[in-house]
Amino acid sequence: MTTVFAAEPMPLEEKIAKFHELFETKINRNFCLSNGACVHCGLCIESCHYYMATKDPKTTPVYKTDAIRRIYKSRHDWLSRVVPFWTGAARVRTREDLDRLRDIAWGSCTMCRRCTINCPMGIDTALLIRSLRAILYAIGEAPEGVVQVCKDQYEIGNQMGVSDEDYIETIEWLSEEHATDVGDPRAKILLDKKGANVMYVVNPREVKYAPLTLLAAAKIMYAAGEDWTMPRSGWDNTNFGLFAGDDKLGAKMGRALYEKAQQLGVKKVVVSECGHGFRATRWEAPNWAKMDLGFPIESFLETMAAYVRDGRIRLNPACNGVAVTYHDPCNLGRSSGLTEEPRYVLQHCVTNFVEMYPNRADNWCCSGGGGAMSMSEYTGRRLEAAKIKADQLRETGAQIVVTACHNCIDALGDLIKRYKLGMKTATVGELVAKALVLPERPEAAVPVQKPLEKAPGVPVKVLVADDDADTRVFLSAICEDNGAVAVTARNGNEALELARSEKPDIITLDIDMPGKHGGEVYECLKKEDALKNIPVCIVTGQPKLRGLIYDLEVPHPEGYVDKPITEETILLNLRLILNLRQ
Amino acid sequence: MTYDRFVELLENEIQIAALAFMATLYAVKVWRLMQLNPVTDRTPDRGDPDAGARYSLMLVAMPWELASYRSHPIKYAEFVAFHLAIAAAILSTFLIPYAPGLLAIPAVKALLMLLIAAGLVSGVSRLLKRLASPALRAVSTVDDYFSILLLDAYYVLALLAIPDAATHRGSIAVFFGLTAFFLCYVPFSKICHYLLWPFARYYIGKHFGKRGVYPKKAGSARPGRAMAA
Ligand code: SF4
Ligand code: SF4
Repeated sequence: MTTVFAAEPMPLEEKIAKFHELFETKINRNFCLSNGACVHCGLCIESCHYYMATKDPKTTPVYKTDAIRRIYKSRHDWLSRVVPFWTGAARVRTREDLDRLRDIAWGSCTMCRRCTINCPMGIDTALLIRSLRAILYAIGEAPEGVVQVCKDQYEIGNQMGVSDEDYIETIEWLSEEHATDVGDPRAKILLDKKGANVMYVVNPREVKYAPLTLLAAAKIMYAAGEDWTMPRSGWDNTNFGLFAGDDKLGAKMGRALYEKAQQLGVKKVVVSECGHGFRATRWEAPNWAKMDLGFPIESFLETMAAYVRDGRIRLNPACNGVAVTYHDPCNLGRSSGLTEEPRYVLQHCVTNFVEMYPNRADNWCCSGGGGAMSMSEYTGRRLEAAKIKADQLRETGAQIVVTACHNCIDALGDLIKRYKLGMKTATVGELVAKALVLPERPEAAVPVQKPLEKAPGVPVKVLVADDDADTRVFLSAICEDNGAVAVTARNGNEALELARSEKPDIITLDIDMPGKHGGEVYECLKKEDALKNIPVCIVTGQPKLRGLIYDLEVPHPEGYVDKPITEETILLNLRLILNLRQ
Repeated sequence: MTYDRFVELLENEIQIAALAFMATLYAVKVWRLMQLNPVTDRTPDRGDPDAGARYSLMLVAMPWELASYRSHPIKYAEFVAFHLAIAAAILSTFLIPYAPGLLAIPAVKALLMLLIAAGLVSGVSRLLKRLASPALRAVSTVDDYFSILLLDAYYVLALLAIPDAATHRGSIAVFFGLTAFFLCYVPFSKICHYLLWPFARYYIGKHFGKRGVYPKKAGSARPGRAMAA
C-alpha cells in the first residue's frame, strides 16, 4: 500500500502525466550528461554490491539508470525521437512501468556512488536515482517508511518524531549523566548558549536510542575544554530530503539548523558522526536553502582529529586493545573526502588497527545507505546485498568495526547478525571516549545514580519479555541490582497475561518470540486502554524485524536497544524512559 | 562521371561536407548543453575543484585509479587499442587524399595498419563479450551493436584501403563511402560520447575536487594485489 504524504492520490493517467512533467524539471547540465554520455561499457557493473551479491543483470548500475535514460532519450535524443527502438527509448505508460521504476529507485540502489567513482565517463548514478526518487515521491510512489520519516521531519522537525519536551528532558538528563561520567559536577551539556565556539548537532537516534554516543561526544569536548552548546531547535543533522529527493524538505531542515546557528552566534557547527547528516548539512542543504553561510561546518571526526593533533585531549590506546577496523561511510568517504581524519584518530586510540580493503572512496557500502533502513519492504534484498560487506568485514579478522555513521552502525549490526560475524560496532567517538585520559578532577560532590524506584522505597516493576533464558536472567538481575523488581515472560502470550495481571511500570520486549511475536504483543498493549500507557523498550537481536513494530499504526515504543545488551545501555534507556535522574 | 572522379569526390568534397555536417550538429549539441544550468555547491571548498577536474580528465590515462580497470586490465588494453585504431583510421582518411607520400613510408604504413588491426581485434572481442555477458546484454540496444559493428567494419575497410592509397583504387571508394556515412551517423549515435566525455569528466571532477574526494587518496586498494572491483 502506498501512503501518500507528498502527493494526493491520483488516477494512473494523471500520475504518469505528472511523472513526465516533473521529469522535465529535473533536467540540468549534469543530469543531461549523466544520461547522454553513458556508453553501456559495463565497467560499473562490478562496482555495485547489489549485482555482486546477486549476479542479477537487473541490479547493475547501468541497468538501473538506463530506466531513466530511456525516458530521457525519448524526448531529448534526436535519433530516439525518430526510431526509439534503436536506442531503447521509451516513455512510462503503464502501472508496471511505474512499479519497475519504484523498485529500482527505492529498492535496489543505496545511492552510494561507488559506481560513479568507477565509471570512466563520469556518470553520476546517484544523481539520476535521486532525481527519479524525487519524481516518484512527488507522485506518491514512495515507500511508507520514507514518507513517514519525511512527515516527521516536516511536522516535528526531526526524523524520529522526538517532541521538543522529550528532547530537552533527554539533554538535561544526559547533562547529569555527563557530570557523573566525568566526575565533575560542573560539567554540563548546555542548551542554546549564545556565542559558543561550537554548536553540536546530532542524529535523533542519539537522542532516542543511542545516548551513549552523545555522552561520548560530551566527554571528549569536556576533556578538550571546548566551549560548546546544543541548540534547542534545529538540532537534527539528518535530512531525508537527500534520500527522498525532496529539495523543499532539504531546505527546511537545513534552514532550521543554519538559522539557529546564526541566532546563537556560534563560531562553527559540528555535525556528529552521521554520514548523510554531514553530507546534507555541509554540502547539499545550503544549495537547497539557497543560503550562503557565515560559519564553517565540520564533522566531529575533524574536530576530534584537531583535538588530538593540537594536544587538547590525551588518549591511552591500551584502553582499546582488541583488533579494530574502520568502515568508511559512503557519504563521508565518497561524497565528502573524510577518510584520513578517522584513521588518524583511531591510530591514537587503539593498539591494533586493521585496514579493510578496499577502503576510503573505494569502500563497499554498508548496504543500508540511501534511506534503505527505513524501507522494511526491501530488508531481505538489502541483507542479501550486504554479503559483499560481510565478506569484507570477515576478512579483516577484527573484533570491532568502527564507523562514523549511525545509519551504518544499524546496517552493520544487521549484517553482522545475519552473517554471524560475531563483531561489535562502535563509533569513533565511543572509542576515543574510552581511551580518554581525563584532566584532573576537581574535588566536589559527584551525583550518584538514582535507584530504579518510583518513590523512595517503592521499586519500579519491570516486565522482561524474552524467549531467551540468558537474556531474561541478565535483564532481571540488572533491574533487581538497581532497586527494581522484575517479572519475566517466556513468550508473547505470557507477556500479555503478565502485563494485564502485574501492571508493570515498564516492559522490555523482545520481537522474535514464540506464540505472539513482539509486534503483535506491542500492538495489543497499545490498543488496550489499561495497558497503553505502559512504556515499552524493545530489546531485539533481530533488527530486520523492526518493521513489525515501527510499521504498526500505533505510537512508536519509548525505547529501542539492540542485542547484545550491555548493563550500561539498558540502564541508560530504562532511566531515560522512566525519567529517573540523579 | 569517371570512377577516378567519383573517388576524388568521395575523398574530398563529400568528406568535407560530412565533416561539416558532423561539426554543425556537434556545435548544436554543445550549445544546447550550455543552455542548461550546471549543478553548483554554495559552501566553501574542502579540496581543490580545479585539481579535481584535472585529475578527473587524466583518469583516462590512469587505469590504476579505477577499481573497474584494476581488476580488468585487459578491458583497459582493449579500450586503448580500440580508440587508437579510430584515431589511426581517421588519420588515414586525411593521409590518403592529402599526403599519400607519407603512407608510402613502410614504417608509417605498418604502424597505422598495426594500430587498426589491434583495434579490430579488440572491437571483435568487445562485441563477443557484450554478447556473452547477460549483464551487458540486458542493457545493449540496437545502437550499441550497430555502432561496434560499424567500427569493426570500418577497421576492416581501413586495413584494405591503406595498401591502395597510392592507386586510389580497390577498396578506397567503399572506405570513403563508409567514412562519410560514419561522420553523418556519429552525432546521432552513442559514438558521439567522446564529445560529452570532457564535459562529464570536468563536472564530476570539479564536484569531487571541491569535496576533497578527487584526487583520490592513496591506500584504498590492497597493496600489491589486484582488488575486487
Ligand atoms: S561505467 Fe559509466 S559509461 Fe560504462 S556503463 Fe557504467 S555508467 Fe555507463
Ligand atoms: S550508487 Fe551504489 S547501490 Fe546505486 S547502483 Fe551505484 S553502486 Fe549500486
